[in-house]
Amino acid sequence: MNFIKNLQGLDRRYVFVFIAVAIIMPLIFPFNSVTYTTTPVENLYQLIDSYSPYVRADDLNEDGIISEDEVDAFKQDRAIFMDFYHDASTMPELFPMEVAVMRHCIYRKVPFFTFTIMEIAAPIIEEALSVVTDEIQKTGRVIERGKDYINIGYKPAALYLPILLGMGDDIAAAVETDTDGNRIENLPMYRDTAIRNYTQMNLVYETSGSDQGLSWMVYARSRFGVNVGVGLTAVMAADQYPYLQSGQCAGMTAGLKGAAEYENLVDMFAMNNITFSKGQLDNPTEKMLANLDITKDTVPSKFKMARLGMNAQSVAHILIIIFILLGNIGYFLEKKKLNKNL
Amino acid sequence: MKKNIPLAIVIILGFIFVGWTFIPAKWMQDDFYTAFIEFTKTMSPFAVVLGIYSLVSMHYSRIRMKAPKWGYSFVTIIGLVVTATVGFVYGTQSGTPAQWIFRNMMMPISATMFSLLAFYMATAAYKSFRARSVEATVLLVAAIIIMLGQVPLGMAISKTWPINILDISQWIMDVPNLASKRGILLGVGLGSVATSLKILLGIERTYLGGGD
Repeated sequence: MNFIKNLQGLDRRYVFVFIAVAIIMPLIFPFNSVTYTTTPVENLYQLIDSYSPYVRADDLNEDGIISEDEVDAFKQDRAIFMDFYHDASTMPELFPMEVAVMRHCIYRKVPFFTFTIMEIAAPIIEEALSVVTDEIQKTGRVIERGKDYINIGYKPAALYLPILLGMGDDIAAAVETDTDGNRIENLPMYRDTAIRNYTQMNLVYETSGSDQGLSWMVYARSRFGVNVGVGLTAVMAADQYPYLQSGQCAGMTAGLKGAAEYENLVDMFAMNNITFSKGQLDNPTEKMLANLDITKDTVPSKFKMARLGMNAQSVAHILIIIFILLGNIGYFLEKKKLNKNL
Repeated sequence: MKKNIPLAIVIILGFIFVGWTFIPAKWMQDDFYTAFIEFTKTMSPFAVVLGIYSLVSMHYSRIRMKAPKWGYSFVTIIGLVVTATVGFVYGTQSGTPAQWIFRNMMMPISATMFSLLAFYMATAAYKSFRARSVEATVLLVAAIIIMLGQVPLGMAISKTWPINILDISQWIMDVPNLASKRGILLGVGLGSVATSLKILLGIERTYLGGGD
């Protein structure tokens, strides 16, 4: 009887200790595990990649040789827009996917805007930009603020709808200034390019721990036809399935798993400057697989946060399942015993 | 008067925005809308001032009256003053003190609070997730499949099984989850339309608050 009771009535402090150990140990001692990519993540990756000057130059070039001039010329008329709508509490899940998307954009020379209506998300944008640009600049590549990306930063929530709709005409008129107070029309990414509105900036990627991405689908997508991709905490992912199925949501990175999948795709394709293909994803070359070993230093730890975190999540999930099973075994044994005594 | 003026503002502006959605004329889409944006921009700073006033006055009175746990109010005001000061003086870009505060204080504090959820979820699942009925058993089995399908280790374990756990997990998300979510969304959508109409017609007035 004691055993049955113990199965069901384990002190919650022991459960806390088990969970803490299950989460901490895989973070201290990382191991490799296979990350399977799902269709919503692949779709988002492909969509962003399709804006890359490399892909577009490659499509038009019959000789297969792409010069940097050609790449720069194609960089003039496509961009993506990133909307950050969360605070620091959801950073462990959302930050790795933001970093992965930014990294993808920078490797593949896709210009991007960053924006938020949450004042607490403005430092998150700065943090993500500094993580990505500092690390990539170590390789010798120069990334310029205002030229490779524009950080619009924080704008009051009251202006959300006016900005969202105003960008359908002209982004410079809608947001006016970037986070440093520079007028958008004076920044090279706007001044020297054809990037003006949703026609060129045809993908909004919104990260949040809520269904805020819906605003973009309701207003920007229905009115201007802009593609909307979302990055969500795992608990919110289920809400997006109706929009994914209908095509209103072009792609999704859900929770740490989605972020890990995106990190994998960036390391396999973008880092090697290869265009995504399902065939190569299923049969990767050794060069593509070289960046996936998270126990080695091939890729800085900042760029494999999600995959390292997935190890901890893996062990925690298994442990929770074990706890659920133990609790149920105890419940049924007790029930059986009670029935016998009746 | 206290109710009629706000009610009139809501009804008039509500109908104007219905018109803005459906009337494609320039005077509505451009002229009115530009004026509205300017109005909104002017209004926003007042909301910030009001917010700061409300926060400071509430916490100041708690400190003055030495209310229970008034020390937290003191920390809140100090936090507000310090963060705002460093933000105004040095800006909020990378490398500034504001960013340092965010990185070294805000991030760990918020993440810690959120991570507690894992511990509570684990104990809640262990203590109360029981197969007491058919419905509870279906929920329990679905939860275990989804949890396994979401993590690489679960996938690795299920590789030895005759069924592909990822496929089943994806099917649960794509079919039963999608169907229930869509049903909820349709219900919420119809409810929103009905409530909006009631507000526009002045039937629904609870948003004005109680009493006179």
